[in-house]
Amino acid sequence: MSVSLDIKYAARLLAKKPAFTGLTVLIVAIGLGLTLYTYSLLNSLVFTPLTLNNDKPIFAVESQYDYTHLSRRPADPFDLYKLKNELNLLEDLGVYQEGTTFVGGSDATTAIRKFNSTYVSWNIFEFAGVQPILGRGFSAEDHFEGAEPTVVLSYDVFKHYFQGDESIVGTMVPLDAEPNRVIGVMPKGFAFPSIAEIWQPLPQDSVAATERTYNGVQGFARLADGVTPQQLQAAMNAYSSELSTTLPDDMRWRINPEGKYLSVEPFKKAAITQYFSMFMAMFVVVFLILLLACINVGNLLLARVNQRFKEIAIRVALGVPRKRLVLQMLWESIFICSLGGILALLFAAWGLEITNQVFADTYAVDNLKPFWWNVEIDGNGLLLLLGAIVAMIFITGYIPAWRALSGDFNAVLRDGTRGAIGKKAARASKILVISEILLSCVVLVMACILLTTSYSAGVADYGVETENRLTAQLQLPPISFSVRRNTEFEHADRLKRAAFYYELKDELESQPNVQAVAMMTELPGRGEGTSHYEIEGREAAVYNENPYSNNEGVAKDSWRALGMRIVQGRDFDHRDVGEDVLSIIINESIAREFFPDGDAIGQRVRRANPGYRGEWNTIVGVVSDTFHGSTMRSSSTSYNSYHIMDNWGLFRVNLAMHYTGSQVEAEKTLQQAVDKVNSDVGLYHVQSYDSLIKQPMMLVVAVSKIFLLCGIVAAFLAASGIYAVASNSISQRTQEIGVRRALGSSDKGIMRLFILQASQQLAIGLSIGIALSIWLVNFMSETMIINDLSYVMGMLGVPLLIIFMVLLATFIPTQKVVRMEPSEALHHD
Amino acid sequence: MTTATKTTKSLVTLNNIKKVFFTDDVETHALNKINLTINKGEYISITGPSGCGKSTLLSLLGLLDTSTAGTYQLAGHEASDLNRDERAKIRNKEIGFVFQAFNLISDLSVAENVELPLTYRTDITKVQRAEMVKDALEKVDMQHRANHFPSQLSGGQQQRVAVARAIAGNPSIILADEPTGNLDSKNAQMVMNLLDRLHDQGATICMVTHDPRSASRAGRTIEVFDGKIVSDQITEKPQAVVA
Repeated sequence: MSVSLDIKYAARLLAKKPAFTGLTVLIVAIGLGLTLYTYSLLNSLVFTPLTLNNDKPIFAVESQYDYTHLSRRPADPFDLYKLKNELNLLEDLGVYQEGTTFVGGSDATTAIRKFNSTYVSWNIFEFAGVQPILGRGFSAEDHFEGAEPTVVLSYDVFKHYFQGDESIVGTMVPLDAEPNRVIGVMPKGFAFPSIAEIWQPLPQDSVAATERTYNGVQGFARLADGVTPQQLQAAMNAYSSELSTTLPDDMRWRINPEGKYLSVEPFKKAAITQYFSMFMAMFVVVFLILLLACINVGNLLLARVNQRFKEIAIRVALGVPRKRLVLQMLWESIFICSLGGILALLFAAWGLEITNQVFADTYAVDNLKPFWWNVEIDGNGLLLLLGAIVAMIFITGYIPAWRALSGDFNAVLRDGTRGAIGKKAARASKILVISEILLSCVVLVMACILLTTSYSAGVADYGVETENRLTAQLQLPPISFSVRRNTEFEHADRLKRAAFYYELKDELESQPNVQAVAMMTELPGRGEGTSHYEIEGREAAVYNENPYSNNEGVAKDSWRALGMRIVQGRDFDHRDVGEDVLSIIINESIAREFFPDGDAIGQRVRRANPGYRGEWNTIVGVVSDTFHGSTMRSSSTSYNSYHIMDNWGLFRVNLAMHYTGSQVEAEKTLQQAVDKVNSDVGLYHVQSYDSLIKQPMMLVVAVSKIFLLCGIVAAFLAASGIYAVASNSISQRTQEIGVRRALGSSDKGIMRLFILQASQQLAIGLSIGIALSIWLVNFMSETMIINDLSYVMGMLGVPLLIIFMVLLATFIPTQKVVRMEPSEALHHD
Repeated sequence: MTTATKTTKSLVTLNNIKKVFFTDDVETHALNKINLTINKGEYISITGPSGCGKSTLLSLLGLLDTSTAGTYQLAGHEASDLNRDERAKIRNKEIGFVFQAFNLISDLSVAENVELPLTYRTDITKVQRAEMVKDALEKVDMQHRANHFPSQLSGGQQQRVAVARAIAGNPSIILADEPTGNLDSKNAQMVMNLLDRLHDQGATICMVTHDPRSASRAGRTIEVFDGKIVSDQITEKPQAVVA
């Protein structure tokens, strides 16, 4: 009965102040919603182990992650299998390589189309515990040299590309123009190990290597019973140490500069190593926001307790047991947090739906979304929400209950006033304000740095004109362009392939809506540094002093389509085409750095990596600077050089077309031209240049948007929270202000006193907040370049914003109290 | 008893003072046409039932509030025309307050509380301040508790500290609002003795009280009823001699 009375009373109190109730419920919903959203996101992407149809988690076994280039590195299959066979630490192991394959073509009834293909060891389907719904999986014999080429299709390829025609199983279909037999179709949604649309068997030497190879594969494994990943990693490290003394010189590149080679990581985590620190930073930020929300709600309830202090004192005088009083306080928290929790569930579900859509859009062009990237709220998420609600009830309920129980009720009842604020309450207010400052500083700095960095990368000058530029990839079908390696026809075959590109270029440039066409292996904005440069006569500086540089193949007369220009020497022409002709064009950055006297033309350079030396190339020109790769990535580089692509005979080339009029018309023109020159050629990833540049950063941009939301929420919570805490604290000191004014303090003196106190809190909160932010930003900078502007904005702009907010939050309530006549302030209840 | 007359130099003069409180649609006339003169060295008690306006009158006398109408002179200043900062300066220099609830600041020590009004003055050095604090605490016999905090003192001790704070700056007048209202009889007696002593030493005291025993200690008793002075009488107690 008494409990129902308490519930009724708490409900009535909340209903009486709908604005207060709405605000607190909203704050709780935001805090819990963001937490649930982030947990569910990270749970799906990282935390929940990938098990497939087994209890044991799957691990990625490969070379150590390359933090310089932000890329996963494959390992020698010889080492992986040796590890499995000799150490008995792995229960099961499979290996794979990811790539792309063109399916269909002129001899097929279906149009040619590119799919993500994964070359796998035959045991992949047994390992996954998933069998084909049609036909069969691979057998060990499918790897044998001379075995009939086979392919297993994903459900989507079977359903959409082959229109669900079951008779396709057993027939031959062209894969990169080579006939392959379709042996099976996998169930819907299966794309293990990550993004597979079709599966093909690896060659024999990759699954049963009897000696060390130059091949690179990635492994998926389950650990033997009782073996921990740490034990396996320790064994791998020992293996790497032993290997470092026995590896041949030309294979030493397998071991990284820290002397490590193989690594074991949870399978999902390995897929996002590059973004792991960013996701963790996001988790920290969201946790801080939850704390902010708790403090704010607690403080709002505290302010209400202060208003209701006399009523509570009367209840105490009437003999209410303390437990009952605490419970009554808690009922309000229970209502607020429960309502907030329900809203949070809706917010999070909505956010995750949008995220799934963002993922789908982000990877729509090349379908590179790992199959487990389908985020949803699971049972663990719901348990977390429930736990967070309970914790929040206690945190938000405890602060006001503590205040209610620690007051001097006798004094309140005796004269109706409280005198100056108690020491404990004053200290609590200070701690609340400092916590708000600290937490909001960290959240806003992180949000600001990520946002400005991703924005800067999006609008960075890559040295090319992107307006009215259409980009696409071209893939030549091997069936139309023969490859006769190690024969007298090899070079002629290459020239034939190059001729296609020039014919297409001419065809396009003859169109009225096309200004110019460029062709490159990777266009500026994509690619990354891959090798060191060695300059003839300066060999000593090759490895440690010279930066990574990017090397691309380019068609003649490509610069103008990209807004680039030759600044010294000449462009490529017929003099550079030939089997023994090795000419190179470098960009201004290389010329300025290594040939400061302007004598680059005629010098010779070559690519050099550990265990590899390229041919000497003569510099014939210097071209204006461009930037390859995202400006957010440390592996991107402004050092670029170019070879004429004619001598390489490329099967795959990127195209950039400068057009006039609409993009839709330009796309039509491009397709028509390709069809006219050779309809078997694959044309894909058609998109604007801006889109091409932004694509590698789309995930970062998406996460940045979450940070933006967090930043806005944090700013709102911080501003309202700091105001509420300051206002509450000042309100409790109204009588003190009255006393000070009665004793002759001027308005300015009172204001100065409170501003000084706020400044002290600011100094403490910001010092800790900035130190924490620097630590977190350094953590993030392991995987992304944080530009100076972002750093300045974050470390200077955010503290300035917080200083402004705190001073305003102090000024407004102080001004309000100062405006009272001293007599009014003295009798303030 | 005799009716009060202006026998010495006037310190406070109120002419036709009115105070009206406006709350929503309600007008409350707290004081109505108050005329009052307080001379230097007088010891006045203001009495009356609860809600009669005596505390409001004390607030106006102490420049803690402004009147709705009328004029007010304090120590030669035309107080009605002063702005907030000027009023604060006069409060600081000319008036000492003693409140019923002591109103000591809990975060400050006894000495710091007493020093507080002196810190708002620019004409006193730090050394002088320390001397004045010491003197004031000695006068109320609280120098031995200078470093304690209010929460460590009894009610009577807190009020003595409040009195020390009121007299530290040598004000022209001490305004006491129910100074014994929160004290037991023993402590109340002690505080009243202290005020008597201060008056004997030349202080002008104006005290609001509804305790007849406290009121009887004053040399002049003013009775307020419904916002008006209904009685203003000199009692037998002789006035202190003003130099």
